[in-house]
Amino acid sequence: MPRDVVSAVIEGDPQAYENEHVHGVYEQIASHFSMTRYKPWPVIAKFLADLPDGWVGLDSGTGNGKYLPLPLDRPGAVWTIGLDRSQNLLSIARHAGDAGDGKVIREVVRDDVLGKSWRPGIFDYSISVATIHHLATAERRKSAIKRLLLHVSPEHGRILIYVWAIEQDSLSKRDIPHDAGSSQDSNSSEKGKDIFVPWVLSQSSEASKEQATFHRYYHMFAKGELSELVSMAATELGLHVGPPLATEGRKGIEIVQDGWERSNYYVEIRCWQSKS
Amino acid sequence: MVRLITHNLLACHAKGCNANNFPLQFKDVEIEIREAEFNPDFLRGFLPKIEWKALVDSARQIGDTSLPAEQPEMVDDDFLKSLHHVLLELHIEEGSMTCPNCSHVYPISNGIPNMLLAEHEIA
Ligand SMILES: [Zn+2]
Repeated sequence: MPRDVVSAVIEGDPQAYENEHVHGVYEQIASHFSMTRYKPWPVIAKFLADLPDGWVGLDSGTGNGKYLPLPLDRPGAVWTIGLDRSQNLLSIARHAGDAGDGKVIREVVRDDVLGKSWRPGIFDYSISVATIHHLATAERRKSAIKRLLLHVSPEHGRILIYVWAIEQDSLSKRDIPHDAGSSQDSNSSEKGKDIFVPWVLSQSSEASKEQATFHRYYHMFAKGELSELVSMAATELGLHVGPPLATEGRKGIEIVQDGWERSNYYVEIRCWQSKS
Repeated sequence: MVRLITHNLLACHAKGCNANNFPLQFKDVEIEIREAEFNPDFLRGFLPKIEWKALVDSARQIGDTSLPAEQPEMVDDDFLKSLHHVLLELHIEEGSMTCPNCSHVYPISNGIPNMLLAEHEIA
């Protein structure tokens, strides 16, 4: 079964491109995809475990909702609302962490990650896991980060963003072609790569066993590209990037973690506001 | 799922709709009541974020009148239990939500509110 990825070239309207190469694919592979996505990443589990009681957050691009039940040792102490564009994934996410008795129901909302269907700054935290890398231009990826910054509290909001890295784990099953297309529009000094990743779906019926291959679009991030994009997004929103300042009336963000975990880059952001 | 905990955070985001775009008004709703585990620590933490009038009005729209019109200063267990019921046990399964400003309609189907905008409606 070929697991190799191939280069992608973005043509035409990026929204239409994502509709075809991201959203359309997830609607079709939702249940099979969900069966393979059950283990939480340690960095994200830790981020959620550290949240205080009473906090409400947004999982922007929740997929099958695997992070909605966390932290498992404090059920109901924090509420994560799941947002996704795929109706089929949301139908699964609604019951994430359910023991099979249909009792547990999660809060999920259908929208685009570039939407802003919330009271501004209302969330205490937000996570964006394996989502922003499906947006087809650097401008749209930056817009998605701006949305996260605007969704959380300017005083104490926390954000965790997780994207796919060019730098792959040696255990990864994937081979990244060295000639994969570098992003045409990236302003980053080091450039990410635009690729397609195949998803092979077996459809067994009595008559035949058919295989369908779907190609999902990804932007693989280069080292430093994610934190650079975060800094640009924050700066464009008038936020200072760095540790909290004592100067009156300033708002900013601090990147408190910037790392790599198992083929992914992640950053953790904390918002701060000085006394006015 | 849309429960009032989520509804109290949602706002209309149609093109040009920036003021008076909250709370969305329920219409033709089907409600299911499902018990949820009572967690007073969560409720105390969430309380400051609630737009109280919006919550009380929305609860009345869907037939629950258990909350006081003014948010009480004394937060006791009885109050927290009413709040728990209104925020977390009333599930709006079907129906729609209409923006009070631009009248955009967001449908709710199988418990999932659809906030997606068509391309020409995006700001
Ligand atoms: Zn509106």
